[in-house]
Amino acid sequence: MMLIVGTIPIRDMPLTIGKVAAEVDFLIVDGRRIPCIQGTGAMIGAALATTDYLKLEAPCALLAGDIGQGKGSRDIYEYLIEKVAELSPTVLALHYWLPDMVLTRRLCEAIEKCNRRPIMIADAASMYSAKAAGRAAEFDIFTPDATEVAFLADPNATHPAYIARHLFDTDITQAPRLAEVAYQSNNAAKLLLVKGAIDYIINKGGIVATITEPDVPALEAIGGTGDTITGLVSALAYAELELPEAAIIAARANRMAGKFAHATPATKVRQVIAQFPAVFKEYLCRWSGVCFMEGGKL
Amino acid sequence: MPFLKQKNTAFEGGGLVLFLDVHDAIQAEKVLKKAGYGVKLIAPPPELRKGCDLAVEINLVEQPGIERVLKEKDVAYVGVSPLKVGTSELLEIIKVVDFGRWVMVKVGNMKITFDKESSIIVNISGGGCPDIPYLHAELIGKSLSEAPRPKDIGFTLCALNADRALEECLALQSGGNAP
Repeated sequence: MMLIVGTIPIRDMPLTIGKVAAEVDFLIVDGRRIPCIQGTGAMIGAALATTDYLKLEAPCALLAGDIGQGKGSRDIYEYLIEKVAELSPTVLALHYWLPDMVLTRRLCEAIEKCNRRPIMIADAASMYSAKAAGRAAEFDIFTPDATEVAFLADPNATHPAYIARHLFDTDITQAPRLAEVAYQSNNAAKLLLVKGAIDYIINKGGIVATITEPDVPALEAIGGTGDTITGLVSALAYAELELPEAAIIAARANRMAGKFAHATPATKVRQVIAQFPAVFKEYLCRWSGVCFMEGGKL
Repeated sequence: MPFLKQKNTAFEGGGLVLFLDVHDAIQAEKVLKKAGYGVKLIAPPPELRKGCDLAVEINLVEQPGIERVLKEKDVAYVGVSPLKVGTSELLEIIKVVDFGRWVMVKVGNMKITFDKESSIIVNISGGGCPDIPYLHAELIGKSLSEAPRPKDIGFTLCALNADRALEECLALQSGGNAP
């Protein structure tokens, strides 16, 4: 099972868990309609588009409503701490929530009790809390942007709003240097997929790959296009691609979907997500060797 | 853990509210607990002391929401600081990207993009805290001047950066300085 975990901007939506389905512009989880907008909704939308195309089991989502006050986040933490060993996901993708260092440590301890350790992926504030709690190295993939790599590189920072000035740099070309600093203090996941004008795939040994094409600058402005990369890489990891390959394809597919959508800064993320099936159909076989014909696997 | 309603009283928030007066610190702890925040009274490290031997430890991410409660309840405080004394600071580095018809303003990890002609906010990106998708839903489609301020309806540091981005968008638009 691929389990995607995060908050949804619906006030008072209770803890909800279930397989994801799509319904026009919404996602459905346990009968509840989830907007496919920036955040966990966009991530789920991208993951679902990928599993649908690959004819894999749809992602399972653990969600709660939270508009920033933290209650939904705490409900998620507590449920996951109690149930993660029982759920035993193959891929555990953590996303938006209110970062809490103590609860994150308890979650990491609970994950250690799983019979089979899940592939652990974190983005957004779950990445913040993993790093701030000192557990970053236990994760397989983080998907930061340029600012968030600087946050990982600052050993004192608990949120990207507070970063040592000498580390802060919005220039994406500085990402490899900052990643190296983050690895030196064990504040990075085993693999980093750094999202930006240049996408970098980086591990402790250095740059694994860079992706620059197609160049669609408007993607940076579109809320949720970072979340879609995380959804893509999570689903591709669930499809048992090697993690660096999954990261490379995720970055390429996201860019290509932006191109297919003729993205402008006013484009909505669901318009980008809608392009993933066409992108996969045209490019996935060429990029990965995962080849399908209409109606079944080759 | 920032929420004292839970049985486990472990707490690690990473931020401090600083006071000039011990009474204010005690009052702050009381009103913040009542508002549902997990907080703890601690002695601040010497380098952060502002005249009082008590500070309130908070989850730093919740800074905007906490400051809003203190202001609403008229509790005087000096400021908020990260607990780890180092080189970290609240960054206000602003970057503006001209997309022709649209302008994107980036502050820290948050970006707001608006239509130059109509002043309508067309996208919000970046961030990772749970109020950001909420702000995304609340602000997009509204004009810069009519949109609610993230600092008023958000709760986290991501919202604080979004508010600064909105402020810069307003300045660009009203001052005619947009690129």
